Amino acid sequence: MSRPRRDPRAERQSHDVGATGSRPRYDRSQPLPGRAGVPPIVAPARSGMTTQPQPAKPELRIVDEPAFLVFAVVEAPGGRLSRFDRQVLGAARLLADAGDGGAGVVAIASHSVEGLGEAGADRVLLFTAEAMPGTVAKALRQTVDALSPRHVLFAETGDSADLARRLAIALDEPLLANVEHLTSRQAVRAIRNGRAEIAATPPRLISLGEDRIKPYEAAPCEARALALDTAPHNDDPAILSVEFIPGDPASLALSETDFVVSAGNGVSDFAAFRDLATHLRATPGASRVVCDAGLMPRAAQVGASGTVLSADCYFALGISGAPQHLQGIAGCEHVIAVNTDLHAAMIERAGLAIVQDAQLVMPALLQLLRGGER
Amino acid sequence: MKTTVLLSHARHPVSDRPQLSRLEAQAIALAAEVDEAPSGLHAGRNETGVVAALGHGLTALDRLDLADTTDPLSALAAFLTRQRFDLILAGRRGEGGHETGLLPYRLAAILGLPILADAVAITPGAAVETLVVDQAMAKGARRRVTIRLPAIVTVHPLAPPPRPFAYGPMRRGTIRRHPVDGSANAADLDTAEERPHRLRPKLMRQSAGQAAGANLYVDPTPEEAARLILAYLEANGIRRYGPLNDR
Amino acid sequence: MTATFLPWIVVLMIAVAGVQIGRRLRLWRRGQPAPVDWLGGLRALPKRYLVDVHHVVERDRAAAKMHVPLAGGLVAACGFLLIGLVTGLTAWRFFWALVTLAFLAMTAGALLEIRRRYPRRLARLSGGSWQTFPFALIAFAIASGLSALFATFGNALPALELLTLILAAVGGVALAATAAEGPMRHALAGATHLVVHPRPQRFGGGRSTELKPLDLDAEKLGTETPADFAWNRLVAFDACVQCGRCEAACPAFAAGQPLSPKHLIADLAAASAGGERPPYHGNPYPNARPVGGRIGLHAPIVSAEGVIHPDTLWSCTTCRACVEECPMMIEHVDTIIDLRRFQTQERGAIPLKAEEPLANFRGCDEPNGRVLAERTDFAAGLKLPVIAAGGQTDVLLWLGQAAFDLRGQRTLTALIRILTAAKVDIAVLGADERDCGDLARRLGDEATFQRLASANVAALASVRFRRILTADPHALHVLRNEYPAFGGTYEVVHHTAFLAELAAAGRIPLSPLAGRSITYHDPCYLGRYNGEVEAPRRLLDALGLERHEMARSGKRAMCCGGGGGAPVADIPGDTRIPDLRMAQAAETGAKTVAVACPQCAAMLEGVTGERPVVKDVAELFLEAIEAAAMRPAEAVRALEVEPA
Repeated sequence: MSRPRRDPRAERQSHDVGATGSRPRYDRSQPLPGRAGVPPIVAPARSGMTTQPQPAKPELRIVDEPAFLVFAVVEAPGGRLSRFDRQVLGAARLLADAGDGGAGVVAIASHSVEGLGEAGADRVLLFTAEAMPGTVAKALRQTVDALSPRHVLFAETGDSADLARRLAIALDEPLLANVEHLTSRQAVRAIRNGRAEIAATPPRLISLGEDRIKPYEAAPCEARALALDTAPHNDDPAILSVEFIPGDPASLALSETDFVVSAGNGVSDFAAFRDLATHLRATPGASRVVCDAGLMPRAAQVGASGTVLSADCYFALGISGAPQHLQGIAGCEHVIAVNTDLHAAMIERAGLAIVQDAQLVMPALLQLLRGGER
Repeated sequence: MKTTVLLSHARHPVSDRPQLSRLEAQAIALAAEVDEAPSGLHAGRNETGVVAALGHGLTALDRLDLADTTDPLSALAAFLTRQRFDLILAGRRGEGGHETGLLPYRLAAILGLPILADAVAITPGAAVETLVVDQAMAKGARRRVTIRLPAIVTVHPLAPPPRPFAYGPMRRGTIRRHPVDGSANAADLDTAEERPHRLRPKLMRQSAGQAAGANLYVDPTPEEAARLILAYLEANGIRRYGPLNDR
Repeated sequence: MTATFLPWIVVLMIAVAGVQIGRRLRLWRRGQPAPVDWLGGLRALPKRYLVDVHHVVERDRAAAKMHVPLAGGLVAACGFLLIGLVTGLTAWRFFWALVTLAFLAMTAGALLEIRRRYPRRLARLSGGSWQTFPFALIAFAIASGLSALFATFGNALPALELLTLILAAVGGVALAATAAEGPMRHALAGATHLVVHPRPQRFGGGRSTELKPLDLDAEKLGTETPADFAWNRLVAFDACVQCGRCEAACPAFAAGQPLSPKHLIADLAAASAGGERPPYHGNPYPNARPVGGRIGLHAPIVSAEGVIHPDTLWSCTTCRACVEECPMMIEHVDTIIDLRRFQTQERGAIPLKAEEPLANFRGCDEPNGRVLAERTDFAAGLKLPVIAAGGQTDVLLWLGQAAFDLRGQRTLTALIRILTAAKVDIAVLGADERDCGDLARRLGDEATFQRLASANVAALASVRFRRILTADPHALHVLRNEYPAFGGTYEVVHHTAFLAELAAAGRIPLSPLAGRSITYHDPCYLGRYNGEVEAPRRLLDALGLERHEMARSGKRAMCCGGGGGAPVADIPGDTRIPDLRMAQAAETGAKTVAVACPQCAAMLEGVTGERPVVKDVAELFLEAIEAAAMRPAEAVRALEVEPA
């Protein structure tokens, strides 16, 4: 089943108040009596265009009139929430539900993202994709001025971190950066090379450190789409050109990739292995024995004496899992192991463990993947 | 391209000795790509830690003589205004102070310069007074931005590793010390709410509920194994491979 | 006719050789100044040549059988002829008989040398002019010998005598002409090298293996160009006879890493001359990396444009096997360290993986970035007092890097248990023990080494102890031999020697571990660097173990691949050094490899597949103690070692 495609242009058009002057003006919100200072959120004009709540989950949590708003800026590369994104939404949820609760979490993304409701977003606000942080910051500033969120949360990484600082400068407000402990009453961050820390009541602008706050796991939220009243477009005169270069898993450094497929003693056909890595769109790695034998380059070695991974997923083919090797994948959330030995340490460690000859599984995988490309 | 690298007050996490921040050492390596003789800029009472920058590729070091508790913003801005660098490089967050990562942005605002974050590579642009910056994005992607100089660029940890340290060049490097007069325009950093840092564990990366044998398949057919693997990858949002032929 | 001319042919040869070697002499003079005891050197020359050099040459019996008559015959014959010329003995027939005999010996030697090269030369020997050299020798020897024979028996066949004299002159001058760039250079430069050797202490049974401190205030740190070498080092390169014994012993060469000590020395000898890079006729560097080959007295040696690729430099494990084998007494390791010092300290051109430990040294005095105070954490349940400044102990235990490593901790735990059982008064420095700096120094980071050395010497000066005990031969070597230059002179004892003492004293009941076959792997820094090969064996025998020796053992043992920073530089080859060494251990049929060094333990335990078990001698010793404790008291006897 496919969802109806959103048409941000048409949505924006429908809100045009037709004001005179060179700048188009949009009206999206009206003051709600009784809740001073908190502008309410108006449902989008064309309800058919919003994300439908999933019928399988009737316990949908709906916040119709939020007491206040908490913004959560998510990056969601490839339209999927990263672990860090979920943590930012979890933190936003934590701040929104504190005390009497009733506040709304607004996820701010630059393209459509799956699973925002499950991750805790009541509302979704989309900026058009691929704008530079400087431009997004201007649009975000206008949104902040218009909706007056109590908190704006960022991930302390990439464009989010950049955006956080630009917004702090634009608003001339402090930013509590790289927070490592957060409750509704207190946010703590380390300073002075981790020798000291500062605790403060959570201010408006907060950026979160990675793996600090739990993601939201309770009933899915509504993730109702909001439309934006300004469309950011690159207008910075100092920026002369922008080009996006997608990452190529095959040539990525092991330390940077999100998905590694790795060969050990149980792999003998390395042409097939490389082929499989290409088709899986994974970065090829190897155990020490394989690198020592010169079957894979030294740079591909995973483990304490090779590269320590930060990938999300590690797919081990024919690797039994020496202690040094397991140290190298300690940070991997998902591990798949294919090994002939049921008692191998890697089978123990894996989230999906398959006791089978890697040499037989590789061609089967390749066939499946090749078929899928047709 | 006249380039300087902002050097903060990093300390070694184990020994607590003053040292050069690794990220700033990486920034030096980037600076050396576009400037034969890049310099460094440090605000502090001494150069004990940052002097190593001369061994990592800087030819000179400017030190603004400021107390460590003084906000260096205005002194740095004044110095940078006088010196007119084409390119100012910095880490994403300076170390040893409040580590907010706001300083480069504040400087950009004061100096009226564009700022780009998370550089992993820089090359001179085709046109004069331009610079091509590769910014690190998620999943190995890069954003290649051509920017007009002068500009401020912060550096991402995925930038190439620092040049190995060399003792000889460090010994020969130039250190220029600049007195900073007037505490009038220098605000002290707020130290009132500081307390000793408490180490807090990070969230575990391993996904929960992975009891041994919970997801174990002994001797499935290779085809079955392949389907299980792809299903697992898709279910956990690692990759999406489109419709597969025999589903 | 012979009586008139043959001595003059020798004079002519000496003149030609003199002119030729004079060219090299001018080059040597352009090296850096070095303190040389000329008189002492000259006085010691015969002994150094006849005893020390011969001792090395003799290890290869065939080579000794060849060289003694060849060189002896040549030197004797030429010597006789010169004496004859001066004294007028040439009129005496018996004199000519002597000369004939000398040339006969030389002929025999030359024939043996030809046998080494034809039909196929030994793999380690060089071809080119080295391959044709024995023919010039034999031509000169036979022609001169015949001439002398004619002189012995009177002027019988004047025409033939003229012919042999002409041949002798041609052969002799051809030989002498190779004194600058060819094979004969080794004789003249070799003799000079013996006189002006940079390490005179190593002759006459002495040992000199410590690296020399570098003046950190010098204009240039380390060696960049041939002109940066001390002049007597330049002499050493010219002394090389390209016998290839170093290459045959080199673990990096064996593993297919791009290092051959012989090629390296030949390159350095060629580099100082400048001009065209002369052809090299030995084995190439394994998996040789391409280099530009630019040479010259003032041209950088190690670079992609120069003659030596950086990978060659960083493949070395500093095991000293080459130095041990070299009959010309060349100091390959000193040379490599000099070159590394420049690369590291002036250019920062060090393999990135090797920079990591150096950065950690600069940051926190520990190669893996560990907290110094945590060095004793592994010994939480053991009796291991930390000595405070001003404190006193009999034995100061130097834990070293092993205390941070799981494998090393097993050894140290065993050692501490033994010491506790033997009621030895021990203590450790605790957080004041910094890394000894061995790794930094071998990687060429002299500044870091000197800083660590001074800090450790200061820490050691603040406590009182009789001697230092360590289970790490690298620390032992640095503390014993390299710290004296920084004001710290200590009695340092390795745990193998210490445990052998304990066993000999009979203070602890030991039960023999009979029926277990072991082979002992000598650590380079204990055996070759410090000459300690007896004590560990005495100890193993005392434990009742059945000892099998590997083909390469004692001072000629092969390296495990763990020294000199080679594991962190990690230059790829065809195979790994520990795999080769483990295969040699397995060949003995022993089920256990006994080691005495944490590096060796780590490297050999890293070998995968079926292999003997790796045990430190301390672990074996503890097993013997525990076995004794398990057995009924009457069966226990204190094992004794025969006095050495």
